[in-house]
Amino acid sequence: MVLPPLFLRTVEESGFSAWLRESESPFAFYFVLLFHTFGLALLVGANAVIDLRLLGIEREIPLMPLKRLFGIMWLGFAINAASGVLLLIAYPTKALTNPVFYIKLVLIAIAVWVMTKLKTEVFGDPSSSEATMMARGKSLAKWSLALWIGAISAGRLLAYTYKYLIFPC
Amino acid sequence: MNLAHLHLLLNHIPIIGAIIGLGLLVVSLAAQSDDLKRASLMVLAAIALLSLPAFFSGVGARGAIRKDTAIPAGLIERHEGSAILALFFMEVTGALALVGLWRRDRLFKAQPWSSSLAAVLFFSVVTAGLMARVGATGGDIRHPEIRVGQDVSAETGLSAIVSVFEPSPVKFTDLMLLSKWWWAFMMDMHFIGLALLIGTVGVLDLRMLGFLKQIPVAPLHRLTPWAMAGFGVNTLTGILAFIGMPTYYTFDAAFWLKMLALLLLGLNAAGFYLSDAFQSVEHLGAGEDAPPLAKFFAASSLVLWFAVIALGRYIQSYTDTIPVQ
Repeated sequence: MVLPPLFLRTVEESGFSAWLRESESPFAFYFVLLFHTFGLALLVGANAVIDLRLLGIEREIPLMPLKRLFGIMWLGFAINAASGVLLLIAYPTKALTNPVFYIKLVLIAIAVWVMTKLKTEVFGDPSSSEATMMARGKSLAKWSLALWIGAISAGRLLAYTYKYLIFPC
Repeated sequence: MNLAHLHLLLNHIPIIGAIIGLGLLVVSLAAQSDDLKRASLMVLAAIALLSLPAFFSGVGARGAIRKDTAIPAGLIERHEGSAILALFFMEVTGALALVGLWRRDRLFKAQPWSSSLAAVLFFSVVTAGLMARVGATGGDIRHPEIRVGQDVSAETGLSAIVSVFEPSPVKFTDLMLLSKWWWAFMMDMHFIGLALLIGTVGVLDLRMLGFLKQIPVAPLHRLTPWAMAGFGVNTLTGILAFIGMPTYYTFDAAFWLKMLALLLLGLNAAGFYLSDAFQSVEHLGAGEDAPPLAKFFAASSLVLWFAVIALGRYIQSYTDTIPVQ
């Protein structure tokens, strides 16, 4: 049998990883998980509103003031990067031996790249007219929605597709 | 108090509520009173929300009486099947009632909205009938004096027809668990619905709290149907998940606290729309500040929605925290 890389076991055997995974304290694993979901709500929720607006819903919402939502999106991203690292420390073998995990990371990377492009190309010039902003943002918004739905779906699938929960034997 | 108490406390609300909502609607149509029409739709929407915990508490009540051999076989299953059918119609009625209120108050303003009312009327008639049967089949469980016969399979007349459409709870549960990919899909939709809901509700709440102040309130408030679409997806996937693993959710403290938070959100929405708060922000333009009462409802909405997320995440670790009777 081909074993996963041994460093995964080293991480799992660390006291912190074991505590996150096995502690019955409500502030261990599920606390991290709930912050991961808070981050998702902030990041994807705020981005979805901008995407939907760029795609033409509720045109009476002025576009430029929505730029402030990027702060909320970055806050959500920071929460999820931090909580994601902690979840990875809790179950390194589970995540890193699952191809879906890498798909999720790639989808997030592209989605965040699209998000930065939205900010610079659509919201970058304060003198842009709404029509210009919508024209520039239309395809980015479609990609953004699709990529975030893909990232959420890949994340959900991690619970159903893993090969090892913890390091075998 | 245990879950059987909770079921007894809640289980009359959907039945009596559906009938009261329907009665109000009929009276309002006869009297052609616009206020009464709106009131009846609000009642039906509220009953749709309250029907969720009434339904969910049934499994706990079943746990409390499962050893009672005096109850003829099949009675509880028949009651559960009738409750599932009635719940779906109740939720559709509630959703249509919200659509009607939205069309009346946001879109048409004193123009005809009779198609919405006709749809609600049709569904509330069916719902009230189904709820009556839920009550009758539920009463049969604990009240031998009203049972028509000991043989529950012998149904006559209208009940015989309705019973054809009532799912077997056991088969429904099996169906939900048939494929783990179906379960994964439902949970995925639950998370996508969450993002849509929090995003659209969140920007409105943040605007009222003073963030995004350069945006007028009215167009942000028109995002509400998107939030309700997310909530609809999550209500449906939530009900299906519960039917798939009833005992998993029933004996879970986090699940019940999540339901409590959802009821409080209903109360919060009622407070927002029925007090002066909504009127005070409805026409707020760019840069204008919302009054304290509206800020209070906005803040409690945000806190409660994030509490719903947090409690949902704790469900997995709080299974079996409520003792089986």
